[in-house]
This record gives sequence, structure tokens and C-alpha cells, in this order.
Amino acid sequence: MNASVHQEQPILQVNALRKSYGPTHALGGVSFQIFAGEVHALLGENGAGKSTLVKILTGVVAPNDGTMQFAGSAYAPRTILQARAAGITTAFQELSLLTNLTVAENLALPRQTKGWGRLNSKAKNCVAATATLLRYGLSELNPNTRVSELSLADRQRLEIVRALSHSPSLLILDEPTAVLPSTDWLFDLIRKETAKGTAVLYISHRLNEIRQLCSRATVLRSGCSIETTDLQNTDDARIFEMMVGQRMASTLKSSHVPAVSSQPPRFQVTGLDAGMIKDLSFKLYPCQIVGVAGLDGQGQCDLFHALYGLIPKRAGTLEVDGKTVTINSPSGALAAGIQVALLPEERKTQGVFGDLPVRANMAISALNRIGLLGFTTRKSERQLAKGVASEVDLQERYLDFQISELSGGNQQKALLGRVLLTHANTLLLFDPTRGVDVGTKQALYLAIEAYARNGGAVLLYSSELAELVRLSDRCLVIYEGRIAAELEGEAIEETRLVAAATGNRRHAEGEAA
Amino acid sequence: MTKPSSYLTALSRSGAGTAALLYLVLFVAYASVERSALSVSAFSDLINNASPLAIAAAGGTLIVLLRSFDLSVAGVISLVNVILASYPLEDATGAGISLCLALAIGALVGLVNGVLVAYGGFQSIAVTLATMIMTGGLALVILDAPGGSVAEWLSETLTDTLGPVPISGLVLLAVVIVWAVIRKTDFGVSLYAVGQDEHAAALSGIKVQRTRCLAFVIAGALYGLSGYMLSAQTATGNPTAGNSLLLLTFAAIALGGTSFRGGTGGLTGSIIGAASLMLLQKLLFSIGVQSFYIGLLQGVVMILAVSLMNVGEWFNVRKA
Repeated sequence: MNASVHQEQPILQVNALRKSYGPTHALGGVSFQIFAGEVHALLGENGAGKSTLVKILTGVVAPNDGTMQFAGSAYAPRTILQARAAGITTAFQELSLLTNLTVAENLALPRQTKGWGRLNSKAKNCVAATATLLRYGLSELNPNTRVSELSLADRQRLEIVRALSHSPSLLILDEPTAVLPSTDWLFDLIRKETAKGTAVLYISHRLNEIRQLCSRATVLRSGCSIETTDLQNTDDARIFEMMVGQRMASTLKSSHVPAVSSQPPRFQVTGLDAGMIKDLSFKLYPCQIVGVAGLDGQGQCDLFHALYGLIPKRAGTLEVDGKTVTINSPSGALAAGIQVALLPEERKTQGVFGDLPVRANMAISALNRIGLLGFTTRKSERQLAKGVASEVDLQERYLDFQISELSGGNQQKALLGRVLLTHANTLLLFDPTRGVDVGTKQALYLAIEAYARNGGAVLLYSSELAELVRLSDRCLVIYEGRIAAELEGEAIEETRLVAAATGNRRHAEGEAA
Repeated sequence: MTKPSSYLTALSRSGAGTAALLYLVLFVAYASVERSALSVSAFSDLINNASPLAIAAAGGTLIVLLRSFDLSVAGVISLVNVILASYPLEDATGAGISLCLALAIGALVGLVNGVLVAYGGFQSIAVTLATMIMTGGLALVILDAPGGSVAEWLSETLTDTLGPVPISGLVLLAVVIVWAVIRKTDFGVSLYAVGQDEHAAALSGIKVQRTRCLAFVIAGALYGLSGYMLSAQTATGNPTAGNSLLLLTFAAIALGGTSFRGGTGGLTGSIIGAASLMLLQKLLFSIGVQSFYIGLLQGVVMILAVSLMNVGEWFNVRKA
């Protein structure tokens, strides 16, 4: 970004924005400016107020106090359509697509293209959608496909394309890369848009991406804008400090306890065939974290679901401590002495009982241990949850909250606590840190590592390669439903993982040997 | 598109397809027991018999698609029925005025439901329970015991046939056509969107409250039409006429493949589902099953039909 841009009027100016929900202050004074053609990063921990700010900018909620100027005039949208008409569109983190409608219908919402007799025309709608998809490099999607049939990454892309298709002057991207296997497509798109003068507000936890794209960043902490900083002159430690409030102890890859190879494997999978997975075999040893890497949709999801008994297996045997077991349901996995637990990858839909308090959510998988004749008491539930809360760095005061009131990171901590409470000796973790902030990530890493040190075996999938490098003792790379490579110890590096994950077999085999 | 397997998939996916299949099976069974079933008059009897329930179920479908419940159907049908029986208006013009009155009563009750549910934020089951009790009570005020008589022109014309086609069948056809048009409007798309995910629909720019309110109004008007058709069939007034239809309405919707989770299904399926339920009743009567058992067997068939749909769904998932 050159200096001349900054002398122009900002396209968006936000002054002292405040928003409270009852007694809790979601925003307590946020001010910043965005210029045309700029990619502006918004940084902050979960619960720092980023979502609320996005909601205000898009007209979903109204602020209690403060003003906004957009494109030279006062801006106070009351609906999402007003924001869109003014020129601000958003690709939401939680995705606002309707899964029971087609790609074309979703793109056209809320007004479908009209044909004969002012009724909706499927054909015209489809033509319009094809043109839009082509324009933004997403022509491999069929406009007539239902969104429910798309992978999570394609849904994310579609969400972004839909926001762009309204030709905004300011595009808000909320965690756009959380589920994207590669950022190339998105970054190309962003560069093309900004060249045309579109401003982008980019919200992400991934600093390396932000450094690639953005020149300036605004940091939010506890609902206040701390500072707008020039990224080139600010190092990561300083940014973390602004986000968290104090200098964080830098945690390096801890030296792993080498797995004792003389020990028998805790969990052994032979010739597993399920979903996309074809003839897959591996072993998990106690005290070991085995990472699973792979691009989106290579079968890693099916692998975890099959091991947890959520999808049927066509073939293969599972052995726990040398004994063959059958797992046909999650409770079967837990009950039959098999002790496998999964951290659900979509906590909103798969893991959380939103209306129950946090303690109940944590104790739910261990009810048989605290119950007396099948009844549980609030006290025993609380005691159990309290015990494990410290292990996962969850503050005790949260235990009586409804879990849906917590931020995403704290929900994830509570869920990890639930999984630990099962006393399972094998953990299956599927993307446990997706969309959580740096502080929470560290807490989760420490909890996982402590668990492994105490004799647990962990199978961990992560969409973030850095996380696998940080945590795993051994790493399996999945490509098209098979293990394309197996890396161990120091050999686990991002470049090698990427090479194997993109099906670069020869390269990967050379490394594995 | 031309592969037979893809047709099969499409058929098993749409509730209307499964319900139509069930209807066909029941009809073959009925025709083999009752020889006269194949005559025009017998068939027109079947359609006449089914039309009040079918139209009520059609209205209820709109609400179930939104993942809500509407119990006011029973009260609206009763209210329309007693009004038509207490104030009969003769001739075609009278029937026209009565029709407008029936639709207006239904739409008005629907508007009350819609405003309270959509803009007031009340739970649909509580609000519609209240309006059901209110309209049911109002029906008893107008006519405190079964009696009165519906205009002769109305009861005769609507149970008649036009050539080989029963008039009530034409009314059903009109409802299906109106539905086909609605599906081609933004409201139609919004209906499915809101039923699937209210939050995402709002973020996509859909006016969730208006969609909800309008759905209740249209549903109410259809209940009014259902009461109108019922009055033509029975030719007399009964202040509790709608009560027996209440639960059957939901049975027909489930049988027609509309999910109570919202967002999938359709109105045509519910109409065929209603027709199947009524045909089953006839079939059981003609085999000589005692009437006490009919409810029991209807329930069994419903469970069978719903599990058939689940099997179809499961099959699709496995293939994918």
C-alpha cells in the first residue's frame, strides 16, 4: 500500500462503536478506517467482538452508540439488504447458504431471476449463476447442484462468490480460509477485486495469510479497538501481545517422549474400507500423537467417522490392545471397553447441546460414573466438570453458563474436557482447533500433549499443517482415501506434507524411506 | 437424466412419489375387493370423500415446511361449516359469496396466527392452539348442536361430476396449480429457505417474518376452503366437524413426505397422502374390518409408509 492512498478519504470510517447485550458489553468503543483498494485485517481472540462488529456493519444488529461513515455519507443499515444496497457484503463464517436449495437459487437469493409471467425461471436463473461462477473462477460447480451435496470448501467458496456477486465497495470476509485447502483461488480473487478499488475487511486467525495479503491491521481486545498497526513494522510477538494483553510465553515444539516400540499397539486398524477410505491400515501406540494430514475431501472425514462407528465399514478389522472389536455406534465405541472418543468437527451441529449448561455438556459422556441408580445430581456433575476444566484451561465461572453463550474457543475447550472425562485411552481428534484463537490453541495443545504424556494414544486430524508439525510424533498423509505417505519425527515438515497431500507420490516416498 | 435409476432415485426422494405408489397399491387392492370401484361414480365418491382432508393437509404443509405447527385447522373448519349451515345462500352467486366468506374467515385466523408467530415471536403450537380453541368455541356459539342445512345448490354441485371428472377433483387440481405457481415465486423459495435455516435465510436477505406470516394466511385460507368442501359433502352443520380432521391432517402430511424438520416436502404429496388415508378407510370397510380397528391399521400403514421413505433415503445415502 503506498502512501498516496492514505491521503484519500477513507471509504469506511467507524467511530466509537458500542454495543451491549444486557449487562455484557460486546463492543466497548471500536474506531478504525478502511481505504478503497485496501485489504484491512481485523485481529482478535474469540470473543473480542469481531462477530458483533461484522453484524453491525452488515445491518444484522444496530449499535447502541457511535457512528459510521461509508463512501462519504452517514451509514446506519437496518437490514442486510440495506447494507448490500449501500455496497457492503459479507461472506459469513457460519455460512449463510441454504443447503436445501441449489447453487443457482442460493446465488440469486432473495430474488430469483424472473421469466415468463413474472414467475421464477429456472433456466434464466441457471444462466445467470453460470456467468457468476465463471466470472469468479468457480465454473466447476454445477448451478443445479444442491448445496447439501457440496463439500465444506466448495460451500465456503460459494459463500464468498455470492458476497462478491453483488459488486460491493467493501467486502467482509470472516474466517474465509478456515476450511479452504488452498488459499490461491481466494488470494487471486482478492487481488483482482482490490485492483478495481474494492476494499476488503479480512478476518482471520492465520497471521501468515494476513501478512501475505494485508498492509494494515486493526486489533480488537475485549470489545475495544486497541490499535491499527502497520503490519510491516510489527512482528508476530507484538501482535499477539496486542491481542492477548500480555506477552505470551513462546511455546516451541516440545520434545516428544519417543514411543516405546516394544510396547504393543493400543489401537490397530487393518484393511479398513469405508466411505472414501480404501484398504487403510495403521497402528496407534500409547504416549504417541499420530497426525493425519490431507487436503479437503480426501477421505479423512470418513476415516474418523468409520472409526467412531458413524458410517458403516465395508471391510477391515479394528483391534484394541490386541483384541478384535466391532464399533457400530459412538456409544458402542465408548462402551465395549474400547474407549475411543471424537472431538466433533462441527461443534455447532454435532457436539453441543446449546441449551444445557456447560457442566452438563461436559459431564454428559460420563453420566454412568456419576449417577446413582441412573440419576445424576447437579453437584456431582459440577464436581466432575470442575476437575477437568482446569486441565483444558477453562475458567470455572463458565461452568454454569449455557454453552451457547460461550465463545467458540471456550466451547471447544469444554468439548475437549468432555472427551477427556470419558477416561478414554485413545482419542480421535478431528480439527480440534478450527476457528479458535491463538491463546485457546495453546491451551488445547497443552491439554492434548499432557494427555499423550500420561499414556493416551491420539489420532489427530488438522486442516492446519503447522499444527500437525507442532504436535505429531508421526504423521499420516491421506490422498484419495489411501495413506500416501507416513512421516516420522523431524521429517514432519510443512513442505513435505504439502507435497504428499497433493499426490506428489514419488517425492513423498523418497521422504518416507 | 434418462437413466431409469435416476428416475427411481427422484421418485423415492420425493414424498409425492412414494405416496402415489401407496395410493396405487391401495387402489388395486380396493378394486379387487369391490368390483364397482372402477365405475365413475365410485371414483368420484373417493375423491369427494378425500377432498376436505386433502385441502386441509395442503394448508398444513405450508406451516410444517416452516418447521412450525398449525392446530387452528380444526377450529377454522368447524367455524366455516356452522356458518354455511346456519346462513345458507342459494344459487351460484350465493355459493360464490359463501366461498369468499370461507376463504376470508380462514385467512383472517391465519393472519392472527401469522402476526403473533412471526412478529410477536410466540411459539406456533401455543398460538394456534389458542386460535383453535377460540374458533371452535365461536362455532359452538353460532350452532350449539349438529343441525342446520347447507345451501342445496352448493352441496349438489360440489359433489357432482363434470363429464367423468368430479368437481371436487377440479378443486384439488386448482389447489395444486396454485401451489405450482407459488413455488415459482420468491415466496415459494423463501418458504423452503426459512424452513431449512431461519438464520441463514435472514443473512441471505430473505424477509423471514413476512414469509412466515404469509404462509399462515395462505394456510388459513386453505382451511377455509377445506371447511367449504366438507360442508358440501355433509350438507349439514356440526360445531365439532373439524376435530376429527386435526390429527389426520398431520398424518397425511407425514405420509406425503413432508419432513417435520422443515425445508423438504411439498403440498402435492400431502394431497395424495390424504387421499391414501381415506382410501385405506374405504378398503378396510369393504373387507369388513370392524370400525374400531381402522384407526389402529391407519397408524400401522403410516409407520410403514414413513419407514419406506427412510429406506429410500438410506439407499440414496449409501449410493452417494
